[in-house]
Amino acid sequence: MTISTNDAVLLAHAGFGVTGCLAALWVFVETLNANPGNAARIRTAALVAAACMAAAWICGGYWYVHFYPADKALILKGPWPFAHNLFMETKEHLFFITGILAFLLPIAARERLDSDAAARKLVLSLAALILITGLAVEGAGAVIEHGAKIAMGARQ
Amino acid sequence: MNSATSGFTLSAAVTVLFNTALAWAKDASPALTNFMKSVAGHHWTTHGLADLAVFAGLGFVFTNSKAVSRMDPNRLTAILIGAVVIAALGLILWFAFV
Repeated sequence: MTISTNDAVLLAHAGFGVTGCLAALWVFVETLNANPGNAARIRTAALVAAACMAAAWICGGYWYVHFYPADKALILKGPWPFAHNLFMETKEHLFFITGILAFLLPIAARERLDSDAAARKLVLSLAALILITGLAVEGAGAVIEHGAKIAMGARQ
Repeated sequence: MNSATSGFTLSAAVTVLFNTALAWAKDASPALTNFMKSVAGHHWTTHGLADLAVFAGLGFVFTNSKAVSRMDPNRLTAILIGAVVIAALGLILWFAFV
């Protein structure tokens, strides 16, 4: 079995993104039951979410800059040009929003969430927004991948 | 909430709107895209660095702002949610119809 650098970087990007989303879900669930006993876990999960999104940003950026141009040309000539024109164009910019929210999460998670209702509301909102935008980005990635796949099939 | 949380929350709201505005500007102006490509090798890389610079820079400015520290925390959360919804819809609608 051979895994190319292209595939490894792309899978790492998607893997870190999903793990970041799961960490945001972890923050959300723990924050619903915020108490002094789970404060450290919330902060750890928030840091995991931020670190995973940073890693997804770096891997995704490297793949997008170095490997995507070939896929883009293929997609634009195939039956699903919207996989690039709509889904990739939106994804590559929406991801920045997810990243910024993920970097804010550990800052907000340092608050006393068990006693500060406003801070709890902020952390819950942040975690939910990271999860929603992160999953939207993951879904867009699947459409882009399929756009490339069917363009390849149409060429053969 | 402490001043850093308030400051960086407002900074995040501004940054996500800046991100969408910059995406629109790049799409409408090949000259801007080429300029951003010349800065860091690829327009997307420059875009990401600009977002991080705005988030960090405004975050530190707002953290030291008494006006931001006095803002109602629930209002800050509402501003952030509204900014994310507007920024995300702005991207989707722009690339779908423009």
